[in-house]
Amino acid sequence: MLKTTSQLISFHGKLEDSLSTQLKSLADRHPDLSEKLYELAEENTRHKEMVQRVYREGVTDAFEVGFLTNPLNEDEYIINLLEGNIEKAVKKAIENEDTAIRFCRDAAERGSQLIPNLSQTFKSLIKRKERRKIVIENLLRN
Amino acid sequence: MVVLEEPIKGIIDVKNYVDGEWVDSYSDEYREIVNPANMKTLAKVPMGSVEDVRAAADAASEAFPGWRRTTPLTRSRYFFRLKQLLEENFETLSRICTMEHGKTIDESRGEVRRGIENVEVASGIPSLMMGYNAEDISQGIDEILIKQPLGVFSCIAPFNFPFMVPLWFMPTAVATGNTYIVKPSPWTPISMAKFMELVDEAGFPPGVINMVHGDVKPVQEILENQTIKGVSFVGSTKIGRDVIYREAASHGKRVQAQCGAKNFLVVMPDADMPSTVSSLLSSFFGNTGQRCLAGSNLVIVGEDETFAKKTMNLIRKAASEIKIGYGLEEGVQMGPLQALHRKDRVLSYIDKGVLEGANLTLDGREFDSGGYPEDCFMGPSIFENVEPDMTIAKEEIFGPVMSVLKARNLDEAIELVNSSSYGNAASVFTSNGKTGRRFQYEVECGNIGVNIGTAAPMAFFPFSGMKDSFFGDLHGQGRDAVDFFTENKVVIQRWP
Repeated sequence: MLKTTSQLISFHGKLEDSLSTQLKSLADRHPDLSEKLYELAEENTRHKEMVQRVYREGVTDAFEVGFLTNPLNEDEYIINLLEGNIEKAVKKAIENEDTAIRFCRDAAERGSQLIPNLSQTFKSLIKRKERRKIVIENLLRN
Repeated sequence: MVVLEEPIKGIIDVKNYVDGEWVDSYSDEYREIVNPANMKTLAKVPMGSVEDVRAAADAASEAFPGWRRTTPLTRSRYFFRLKQLLEENFETLSRICTMEHGKTIDESRGEVRRGIENVEVASGIPSLMMGYNAEDISQGIDEILIKQPLGVFSCIAPFNFPFMVPLWFMPTAVATGNTYIVKPSPWTPISMAKFMELVDEAGFPPGVINMVHGDVKPVQEILENQTIKGVSFVGSTKIGRDVIYREAASHGKRVQAQCGAKNFLVVMPDADMPSTVSSLLSSFFGNTGQRCLAGSNLVIVGEDETFAKKTMNLIRKAASEIKIGYGLEEGVQMGPLQALHRKDRVLSYIDKGVLEGANLTLDGREFDSGGYPEDCFMGPSIFENVEPDMTIAKEEIFGPVMSVLKARNLDEAIELVNSSSYGNAASVFTSNGKTGRRFQYEVECGNIGVNIGTAAPMAFFPFSGMKDSFFGDLHGQGRDAVDFFTENKVVIQRWP
């Protein structure tokens, strides 16, 4: 269970890393889509860094920082392996984005209890990840 | 369970930093610094001597004329460099803090961030130390006020915020043109040792910032040494009032002594409960209760027994679920107390509470330390049916103990808060603006929270405190700090 801000941030980092790894692996199997997939994977790294920066700059002993009275269960945010043919892999990739969006939504809700800027950052990631879904969906059309 | 990597690998030989050099203490007495979570030795620190302080004071005094003449803009640039180095070492500093103190990694990062904020504020010193003027106070005569540094200042820091508290004082002191001697707590000296490495790397001229370790002897010399113009202190009321304030004043020094506390948190029936409970937990049990702003007495207001019961059920449940362990484990919400004798002190208060008839509804003496040696650990404790005249309601416990009192209405609650000899902090939880305003208006405390559990002032506001919680005139941080570290000089001039 994710009960502290530090855990929340670390788990988000792992989630973005995991998304990135899967997209890169798919890119390596499909050179025709690799440019786009690598762009998406790099965006995951930027998302991770953005959240870490907001945490680092916003964490303070003033006010309250650590106690998440309504913890998150990390087992509810599992990232799929992008296996199988490209159609199947793209479908899984979209599901992964949905998982990440769900996490960001839950983290935004809990984040307001921790560091207000963190909540805003997760909300902004939701929008960006919604846009990514469209990019992933379009991979097969181009 | 993820345990973050420890930045301290061996046993550190902590040295003094004087005149830009790392030097051994004149003392041959040392204390072992132990990680309170796993009881492993982290460092040995000298107990210090009169000669150590004299050497630092001489170096600081010698550096003062040159540093004073260094322009405020140039001085601020040293702090910009320092800020950059602090950011680069943010995580290492945070983990060191957890290792030597025991607090959780979130708490340590919060502490380091607040320390850095003081460096950031000090970087703005060219604007902050501006004086003012009036033209033509009489025909052809102008009057100006300029703020000038005084010389050498020093701080005597506590164990509970080993990184942050020295930074409440030193950056403003040095940025305003003074030179400085930091004396860290002899229980948690490693954070400042690492910090001073960064000071050295930032390239401050030798003697501008010095550090002397130790216990009673260096403190006595800091208070008596005529080279040192002022002292900042954070610690207990007994030491702050009876030793620091009196001794420093008797030697003609400026002094600010930020002392003990017994903070009341008042919950009104109209409070938003989920956010209130979260704030209460953090305030009472954050930093394992070792904060001068920590909640200590909870006052539940109203005659509705159902509300009181419901509130306490929520708090008790949440407190009993707090995960205890080594602060470098990311899921841990409460670390150990900083040392064995501090735990013994808290335990003695729990015994007193039981003896005086309070109802111990959550017993922190029973706990799971997550596989770590139990020595310094304990769980959160809650006493209910506490009466205002009980020892646990009056004295500072400095541990994770909540004493719950009741008040029929806001009048009674405010009376309870104001009956304390302390005046450090108090908070009210309410959704009624009028209640919040009345609380802030009538409560005799220096730091007031409205729907905030730990009302810790930011670096650009003074850390206030009243009554037995503060001795002096000007507080640490904010504009008070600029005034504390400078002399106002008035010039009246005419050019015939």
